[in-house]
This record gives sequence, C-alpha cells and structure tokens, in this order.
Amino acid sequence: MQVLILDIVTTAAILFAVSCGLLISFGVLKIINFAHGAFLTIGGYSALVVTQMGWDPLLAYPFSLLVGLVLGAAVERFIVKPLYDRPLDAILATWGLGIVISQVITIVFGRGVQFVQSPVTGAVELFDGSYSVYRLAATGGAVIIGGLLALLMHRTRLGLNARAVIMNENLAQALGINSSSVRLIAFGLGAGLASLAGAIITPLSSVDPNMGVPWLVNAFMLVLVAGSSLLALLIGSVVLGGLQLVISTYGSPILGGLTIAVAAALLLRIRPKGFVLD
Amino acid sequence: MAIEMTSTAPIIRSLPWGKGAVVAVLAVASLIGPYVLDPYLVNVLIRSFFYASVALTVDLLWGYTGILTFGQSTFFGIGAYAAALVFTHVGFDPGMVWLALVGGVAVAVAVAGLVGWLAFYYGASPLYIAVVTLVLPIVATQLVLSGGTFTGSSSGLVGFTVIDLGIEAWFSIAAGGLLVLTVATWIFVNSEMGRLLVAIRDNEQRCQYLGISSSRVKTYLMMATAAVAAMAGFGYANFTMVVAPEMTGFVFGTELVIWVALGGRGTLIGPVVGTILLDVVSAYLSGSMPFVWKLAIGSVFVGVILFLPNGLVPMVGNFIRGGLRRVGMWWPEAVAVADITPMAHGIEGAQAYTDAPALDISHLEKRFGSLTVLEDINLVTRPGELVSLVGPNGAGKTTLIRCLSDGFERTSGSVIINGNTLDRQPPYDCVAFGVGRKFQAANVFDSLTVAECLRLARNRHEPLSAIRRSRVLNLPEPAVRVIRTTGLDKIMGTEARHLSHGMKQALELSMVLALEPSILMLDEPTAGLTKAERHLIGDILVDLAKHDAFCILLVEHDLDFVRQISTRVVVLHHGRIVLDGSVADVVGSELVQQVYAGSGKFGERK
Repeated sequence: MQVLILDIVTTAAILFAVSCGLLISFGVLKIINFAHGAFLTIGGYSALVVTQMGWDPLLAYPFSLLVGLVLGAAVERFIVKPLYDRPLDAILATWGLGIVISQVITIVFGRGVQFVQSPVTGAVELFDGSYSVYRLAATGGAVIIGGLLALLMHRTRLGLNARAVIMNENLAQALGINSSSVRLIAFGLGAGLASLAGAIITPLSSVDPNMGVPWLVNAFMLVLVAGSSLLALLIGSVVLGGLQLVISTYGSPILGGLTIAVAAALLLRIRPKGFVLD
Repeated sequence: MAIEMTSTAPIIRSLPWGKGAVVAVLAVASLIGPYVLDPYLVNVLIRSFFYASVALTVDLLWGYTGILTFGQSTFFGIGAYAAALVFTHVGFDPGMVWLALVGGVAVAVAVAGLVGWLAFYYGASPLYIAVVTLVLPIVATQLVLSGGTFTGSSSGLVGFTVIDLGIEAWFSIAAGGLLVLTVATWIFVNSEMGRLLVAIRDNEQRCQYLGISSSRVKTYLMMATAAVAAMAGFGYANFTMVVAPEMTGFVFGTELVIWVALGGRGTLIGPVVGTILLDVVSAYLSGSMPFVWKLAIGSVFVGVILFLPNGLVPMVGNFIRGGLRRVGMWWPEAVAVADITPMAHGIEGAQAYTDAPALDISHLEKRFGSLTVLEDINLVTRPGELVSLVGPNGAGKTTLIRCLSDGFERTSGSVIINGNTLDRQPPYDCVAFGVGRKFQAANVFDSLTVAECLRLARNRHEPLSAIRRSRVLNLPEPAVRVIRTTGLDKIMGTEARHLSHGMKQALELSMVLALEPSILMLDEPTAGLTKAERHLIGDILVDLAKHDAFCILLVEHDLDFVRQISTRVVVLHHGRIVLDGSVADVVGSELVQQVYAGSGKFGERK
C-alpha cells in the first residue's frame, strides 16, 4: 500500500514535470505545441551528449534546459508566430516539426536505443521494501520545477504580464504589455521545460528518436483538463496519474496506458473546464 | 406566401464536358493500367489508391467542414481487421466476405456515431474534437495490441485466405473505386448539402440559428466517411493479406492529414493526386533513404502549412492555367451573373392574427458567477408588436436576446415561445419554435454566394439535396422585398465575403426572413448603415409587424429610429426592466433621461 502511494506520488510528479512546459505555452499562446514530444526527445539527447562528453551527469539538466530554450525561441519566431490566427494549423505545423526533429536526431545519433548515465543510482530502504532513488530524486526535481514556476508566475513582473496575456491579450496589449515578447518567452520556456523533463526521464526510460511521442498524448490531455492553471495540472497529474497506476496494477497495463487519454476526454465532455476549480 | 425567383444563371452545374472526358480516360486507364505499367509500380499504386480513398474522407471532414481529424485511420483499420479476423477465425467463403464487409462497415459506422456523440455536442471547441479523434486511434491500437492471438497483437495477422483475384483485377477495383468515390464526392460537395458543409466550416453559429443541427450533420458525415474508410481498409486487407496494428494508429492518421494538406485541402483533386504521388515516391525512396525522405516530407509539410495553406496541387493548377491563359489557350469560366426575375404567385394574406403571446418570459435571470446581468425579467409580447429594447451599454439587451434564442444561456426563469416551453435547447430548436435572430455584426457565410446563403436559410422548408443544386429559390415575400429593394438580386452569384457592410446586413436579414419566423429578434440592424438604408429597413420592419403580424424584438441605440417605428418600448437598466410602455410614455419619462444621462442616481435608489 505504501509503495502504491509512493508510486502514485512519483508518477504524478513526473507527469507534472513532463506537462508543465506544454501548459505554459498553451496558456499564453492558446496554441498546442505538438512538437512537445520532440522537445522531450531533444532533452533526452542533450543528456546523452553530456554523458558522451564525459561531463558531470548533473550538467545534463541546465544543458538540456538551455538547448530547449534556444530552439524553442527560434521555433516560436519562425514557425508558430505566423500561425497565431490558425490554431489548428499550428498543431499540424508543430507536428511536422516534430517529424523533422526526430529524423534529424536519427540521422545524427542513429536510430538505436541508448542509455544515459544517471547522477544517482540504486535503491533505498523505505517502508517494507526498497525504492528507486532516482524516482525519488526526480520527484524532488518536479517539486522544485513546480515551485519555481509558481513563483515565476505569481511573484515576478514577467509572470504578471504572462497572466495578463492569458486572461485578456487585447487588454494586456492596450496596457502596454509587449505580448509578442511574452509569447516568445512563454514558448521558449515551455520548450526548455520539455527538454529538461526529457533529461529527467532518461534514466527511467531509454533514449531513442521517438521517445517523446508516447508522453506527448498524456501531456496534451493533462494540459487540456488543466486549462492554464498550474494547480489544476497538479490535481490532474495526481488524479489521472493515480488512476492510471491503479488500473495498470490491478487491471491490465494496456488499459492503464489508455487511462489518461480516455478519462480526460470523458471528463472534458462532462465538465469542459476539467480540473480548473473556479 | 411563397414567391418563386428564377435565376437564369444555373446555380447547379451539371458535369461539364471536359471533366466527363477526364473521367472516361481515367476509367479506361484503370482497366489497361496493370498491363502496361511495371508490376512493382502496379502493386504500389493499388495501395496508394486505397490510401487516397481514405484521404478523400479526411478532406471532406477537414478541408470542407473544418473538422481536423487524426482518427480516420481507425476506420480504415476496422475494415481491414474485419476481413482478417473473420477470414482467420471463422473461415473463408463468399458468405463470409459479405459478413466481414458489412460487419466491418457497421462497426466503423457505430464507432463514428459514438465519436460524433462525444465530440460534436453543442458548444464543443474545435480543439476538443481534435482531442477525441486523437484518442480514438490510440484506443484502437491498444485494443488490437491487447488482443493476444485473436488480433495477432503487435505482429498483426497474416496468411489468411482472401478473395482470390489477380493483381490486374485489384488494380481495376482500387482505381475504379477511387474514381467512383471521387466523382460521387464531387457531386456531393457541389450539391446543396455540400455547400452546407462549407457553411459549417465558415460559420457554425449561423447554421445553428438557421435551424440546422450542425452537430447532427457532422455526426452523419463522420459516419458516412467511416463507412468509406472501412471499405477501403477491407479492400486493402484482401489485397495485401496482412493487417498490422499500425493501420489503426495515430501516426497513420496524421499521415493522412499530411497527404491532404500537401495535396490541397478543400479540393478533391489535391488530396487524391497528393496521396498517390507521395505514396509512390515514398515507396521508391524510403527503401534507400528512409530518414532523409521522412525529413523532407516533414520539412515540406511545415512549409506548406506556413506558406501554402491551400496545398501544392492547386498552386500547380493555377500556374498551368496562368501559362495557358498567357498563350491564349485557356478562358476562365464565365462568372455566374445571377439575373433574378421574381415571379409573384399571388401573395397570400398576412399571418392569422391571434392574441396568444408570441413570447412569454417570466422571472428570467442570467448570472456569470457572482455577476448578475439580468434579473427578474418579466415580459409578454404579442404578434403585431414592434418592441424596442433600449438602455445604455451593458444594460443586458443583447444578453436578453441571447437567452431567448438559445435555451442554454439563461441561468433560471421560464421562456415560452409561441406556446412552446423553452427547455435547455440549442438555437436550432428555437428556430423551430419560430424565432429568427439577426446578429449585431453581420453574420453570413463568407465563402458562399448570396444565392447559396439564401438557399441554406430555406433548409427547414425545402430539405437540402445531396446530389443537386436547385435552380429556383422559393422565398417568402418579405425576404424578396428586402432583396429587391437593396439590390441583392443583382449580385446573387457574388460570394458574401465581397459584399459591402450594408449588403451583408441586408443579406443576413433576408436569410432570417427566409426562415419564415413569426418572432424576429434584431440586434442593432441599422448599425453602420446609411440614412437611406436605415429608412428602408425601418419601413420593412413596420410593414412586417403591421401586415404580417410578426412580433419584432429590436435592440437599438438610435432613439429617433426607435421613436419612429416602435409600438412599444422596453427600457433595460442594470439588468432590470425599468420601464415598459408606449413611445409616448418613454419619451416623456424623467427616468429614461436619468438612465441615459448616465447619472448613478437611479442605480443608488435601487
């Protein structure tokens, strides 16, 4: 029982880390970044580069964040910006971008599965059994990311501007907020966070050119039930992640794999606001 | 009181000579193709033809109707697995072929109906629809993977007995099927129903307020396309003798969208040519350089979405046409100049005047969270009344109209329209009760011609045809009056997007009148119009109330206009009715002056 609760907590934390970047860019731009999975992959390969260069494994995190930020900002300017008025086309263009990214990675790194050195390894004695140290560390990382994001959104000028753009972009512009740069930063940050999350999940899952795609759908569904609220994303990650884990454990893993997508689609049908509280 | 308007320019076009000849040539090609082409190419082409059939269904949904779908692959997969499962587990004989085909199509249609129920509810966002069509193939693939030996799990099913036909026959079936499908789709998209699809893409809200259940239309369309995709999948499985979970999956679903986008959404030739070309080239290149090929497709796809949203084939077509025109070998089709001659068939008398209330509103309330926009609205209006709703900005006038024309809008209270109690019902039910609503900003179908807009407005009286376009527009007398006095009858063939602001307003008003409503709700119908146009609209409204016993609800800021035409004025302030009386009552009222002078006194006294 304790292990199950621990599993739910760590699963929810990882889901949150994987989805929060998508939430930021969707909240501000109202555009779904379907290259989100590809940015997770980029993060995984950034971590792989750190391993191959023989650097300290901890460097993988700042490095992947940086790579994602820079690439994300470039994508915003050249691909997403012209599509502000065509949100469904933006989904398609970013999906196409995802194909491009995964093919470039395949050509550069090969299509095989590779492994990344983990900064912490082994298991720790907890309750009546042992538990993966890395899962616990990843949970800690997710908590830090969530905390920093909440601070950024609610305690800084940038966050205030971002929230203004989320609520009413026209009004924000009229008040002198440069919504174009807010959009640029939000998309870049979203991609950076995706890349960071990609680096975080690598020791748990192997690195291959399509590693991000299975995560994309879950992240997408979680963001839709969370709207633009970090709190709702947290609730969604715990509830749907927990449900997934329970169904995988006591039902079948295949049904478990479907849980988040199906539950989120049904939830949105009944309650279009999803987990947004007000 | 129908008036017949005959258009000398055909609204319907029959299959022209040139296109007929192309179809004949292609039909012959589908018969002799396998004997003259390289066998490998024939094999690849058969597959491409099946894929192109599915791509056409994606195009109908996405290109024409605006429903972005990633899930057509699932219906293809259902058809394919129906064949594989029946032939593997039950056995193969001619009866089983029919069982598998009919069963596969039936399952696909049922699943599509479920998807439609889930995705196309009233008020669903386009993003939610994309979500549902994304979840569908993921669920389908996982179900196939979890099927163990029954579905063959990840390795799929192979080696089942199939319909024993030579490759030449398969080529003719696939090519002929695609040709028939393309021609049928061409007829459909050019029919009145086909124009309805474009109308839904352009402006779904206006469709709802013309009494069309767009949810139902989209669901039926989804079911029909699912049946076609399932048949293509059935053929494909019989031809290849292999089924695999990828055929039901999300990646194949997106691939279909990519083919349609590259070929040209919203055209028929684009997706067909695009799919065939890309699939054939891919068959030759993906063996030698798979990653570079996929990289190229991805890059071109992004570029096309960004810079050529209409796709590559239409661009090539325009280029060729331009070149031909320059050397004098191409003449553009004459633009249809609809010359309307209205033929009066004797206008019947006005609607029977009754004293029964047209609208009976009691205790109506509208709240957004803690903000109360309308409070305790009680109002009874009768046929023949022209009731003006006035009040300063934010008084709740438009909100009240919205609550009367869409059953989901109000928070509480009861609304009875012509004796029908309005439940939580969408706008198209209100239209059935006799409500016609004209919006504040002109609300028409941009890509449709004036005649097509009016034809759609007649859908409740003359069902739309799926195979033809009528040459005759039967319009009620008031609509004809608006059309003739504003000169819309001279530009029946013009697309609505090219109309001036005033003309768009006139078009929307005539569309609403074409519904033959008994209650007319007009939200600032004269905003942005010239004085002459305003006069004209005013005369028409007075006439409708007086002679045709319409009950008219008019939201208006121009108090002079209100004074000239109203039989009754209702003043709204802070979401409450503060005055309800004749024009004279209101003009003389000190209260109204206070309300409009914007002093807070009245609000405080409350």
